[in-house]
Amino acid sequence: MMNSSRNRQFHEIAGQLRLIWKEPILFVFIILIFYFLFTFVAYPLFQVIKYSIFIDGQWDFSNYLAIFSKRYYFQPFINSIILGICTATIGTIAGFIFAYALTRTPLPFKSFFRLTATFPIISPPFVVALAAILLFGRAGALTPWLKNIIGNYSVYGLGGLILVETIAYSPTAFMVLYGILEAIDPSLEEASMDLGAARIKIFSSVTLPLATPGIASAWLLVFIQSMADFGNPMVISGNYRVLSVQAFLQITGMYDLPRGSTLAILLLVPTLIAFFVQKYWVSRKSYVTVTGKPTGATIKNLEWYIKLPVYGACLLYAGIVILFYGTIVYGSFQTLWGVNPTLTLQNYVEMFEVGKDYLIDSITLSTIATPITGIVGIFISFLIIRKKFIGRGLMEFISMLTFAVPGTVVGIGYILAFNQESVVMPVVLTGTAWIIILLLVFRNMPVGIRSGIAALQQIDPAIEEASTDLGADSNTTFRKITLPMIAPAFFSGLAYSFVKAMTAISAIIFVVSGQWNLITVAILGFVDNTQYAHAAAMSMLLIVIVLIALGLIQFIVGKIGKGVRTTEILG
Amino acid sequence: MKKILWSLLIVLFLVFCVTANSLAQKEVLHLYTAFDTEEAKLYIEAFEEETGIDVQWVRMSSGEVLARIEAEASNPQASVWHAGSNTSHINAASKGLLEPYKPNTDFELPDLFHADDWAWLGFYSGAIGFVTNTEFLEENNMEPPTSWANLLHPKLKQNVAMAYPYTSGTAYTTYATLVQMLGLEKALDWWEDFDQHSIFQYTKSGTACIGMVGLGEVAVGISFSHDILAKGVKAGYPVVMTFPEEGTGYEIGGLSLIKGAPEAELGKKFIDWCYTVDAQNLFQEYNRLPVNPEATVAEGSVTLEDVKLIDYDHILAGESKDDWVEAWRDRIGK
Repeated sequence: MMNSSRNRQFHEIAGQLRLIWKEPILFVFIILIFYFLFTFVAYPLFQVIKYSIFIDGQWDFSNYLAIFSKRYYFQPFINSIILGICTATIGTIAGFIFAYALTRTPLPFKSFFRLTATFPIISPPFVVALAAILLFGRAGALTPWLKNIIGNYSVYGLGGLILVETIAYSPTAFMVLYGILEAIDPSLEEASMDLGAARIKIFSSVTLPLATPGIASAWLLVFIQSMADFGNPMVISGNYRVLSVQAFLQITGMYDLPRGSTLAILLLVPTLIAFFVQKYWVSRKSYVTVTGKPTGATIKNLEWYIKLPVYGACLLYAGIVILFYGTIVYGSFQTLWGVNPTLTLQNYVEMFEVGKDYLIDSITLSTIATPITGIVGIFISFLIIRKKFIGRGLMEFISMLTFAVPGTVVGIGYILAFNQESVVMPVVLTGTAWIIILLLVFRNMPVGIRSGIAALQQIDPAIEEASTDLGADSNTTFRKITLPMIAPAFFSGLAYSFVKAMTAISAIIFVVSGQWNLITVAILGFVDNTQYAHAAAMSMLLIVIVLIALGLIQFIVGKIGKGVRTTEILG
Repeated sequence: MKKILWSLLIVLFLVFCVTANSLAQKEVLHLYTAFDTEEAKLYIEAFEEETGIDVQWVRMSSGEVLARIEAEASNPQASVWHAGSNTSHINAASKGLLEPYKPNTDFELPDLFHADDWAWLGFYSGAIGFVTNTEFLEENNMEPPTSWANLLHPKLKQNVAMAYPYTSGTAYTTYATLVQMLGLEKALDWWEDFDQHSIFQYTKSGTACIGMVGLGEVAVGISFSHDILAKGVKAGYPVVMTFPEEGTGYEIGGLSLIKGAPEAELGKKFIDWCYTVDAQNLFQEYNRLPVNPEATVAEGSVTLEDVKLIDYDHILAGESKDDWVEAWRDRIGK
């Protein structure tokens, strides 16, 4: 028995080695990607871990002991988990309702709702918290009205955090679920209906199970984003202290790199667990629904008791999003928010004087980072899903790591790793444009990979196998068959990474330099200073630029990507 | 595959151009500033105009600057640490991160404004004060707080904001003032009541509470007088500034040369410039108190002679920071 299983293992490895021989280019690419992943993902993290468990070159767990024995370290851990679960659950539900409404119902003004559902993605997350304070803070615009209805309340704390993080991160859930629900052939649901199943039965036994991997991915993504978010908690958490902020304060406020790293590693554990649970769950089920056969029409008519709550929820959510961003627009024209409401353009003039250089840097660096992110991301997802090679699981794991690690820690890791020469990186990167570009690439890539994986999992490998059977090699098949099919995922990954590059803050704040600085850092300075009108004006400008860039990508896609729906870019 | 390879190459080429371009420039001074972006711009651009030296700078809180300098210790990226409370500079000096430098000034720099070995320097000063929303005072028919004890007023329940003493130089100066007035244990006892009763929220930066008070988010904030004037009163918020009659603490604005500075000579030029009358006159805009006796003090500013100060020991405060902060966190639990 032992012998035969060993034999089989040997044959498998030999088979993989033969593959290398047959496809040397692929092999070189795999090696290259491994080098980049190790250097720019694993190595900085290793430095952070090293800082948490080594004191003066000796093993020492006193950092961990301190964290478990002091409530001011441990309470934030519990708070973060509670916040992450609440935000992920509510955010996923909101995202699912929206995705369902847009793919399965004849909702009027679909493009309007799609826009509102995805809009928060293109703004720096702390802008939502800023709007929440302007609206519902103690001196907020809507506070007297709301106080009459629900009595005394405080927007600072868990409730306010869940509100703003749901708005900021449910678009992520929506993007994932929209892609999944759209890919599920509605004819399956039609078949179920033709066989006499009730609506609720169709939903619970056809739609929902098919969407399960998407729901799991969405929940995971929102959970991790919420856990790692520090922009919103910084602005609105009040006395509800969360781990990401504490790790950040520990590092930036107390210059305590070892304990800050230790807190961050504590933050990493639940996110990694979430990652593994999701992976195990998804990999157990197969949801191939794109078969290459022609698909039927979408379900058109729905009963009022389905339409009413779904439409109502969409309207409510869209209303909230419009209210929040409207407040930012309005606030950006006010002389002094809350005190002097005279409308003025002065904020924009001053903001532009101060922020012009930041703006140019942000655009330059993001424009360079975006295509790298997209191409490397889609290539890695292709390797992970469609190719068998030694270390494939490791590649997926490492490529997802930056996403699961709070940005602050990645930033510190980059400083620790790249301000000196080392075996893996013989040049000093700190202070250059490279370090920002690399950080942007490897921080934003996981979303591209994830959407690539989700898209590839939905495509029957038989389509590619057919191509190979007809004599095409790996490259041709990838280029002619796979690439066009995953193009929507590629371009949404591209758009997403540009937006994230423009709005990144948590990790980037550590690697900016005098020469290369970013607009979000400037905005955070204004928020920090309660110069809300300036912050609002600069955020508006950032949003407009991102919108223009998205329009541009859409235009390019329209020119070159035949069959790629423009909606895929935002959705 | 070929297309991908080509696009990768093009992108790499672009990045190379960007880097090459950035290397081509010369006579560049890199510095970290703890002033807010707008304020930093005022001073740095004046320096650039006068000397023709190009300054590349990043704005960070003093805690971030210190973390950055510490992380970069083996390969410093900046030459000067501009501004931030001198307690942070003293802390950095005690960690051996700063390079002693005696600036060329046309006046005698008071002992209070430099380390014995010149590892850190001071170039402005300001006292801790209270900022109160006047609309709140009218509504509640109250007087603004004029003593530390006033902060425990029943009407101020959950109505006071300030920064964490471990993230902000301002808040740490406040805390160190109380420790030096009362002793550590008594100061913590007082703070526990203060935390339970009055504190609505701790912020990260020392100036954030001024805007919060201005907007009416809280009634009272604790910050530096120059910040209260520049960001509260001058900004047009309905606020009033008061000082505790028992005595208050004050900060010296720090300025130092970073150890292993890549552009040490330019850094020294910048530091010397910061003490000139012209440079110190610029402080008027932000109500900071200049150290150069020839410089003009902004109208309406509160000088250190105007308020009752405690005998604040900056060296002790700087060197005890880690211990005192740990004691605070152990007791307050935040």
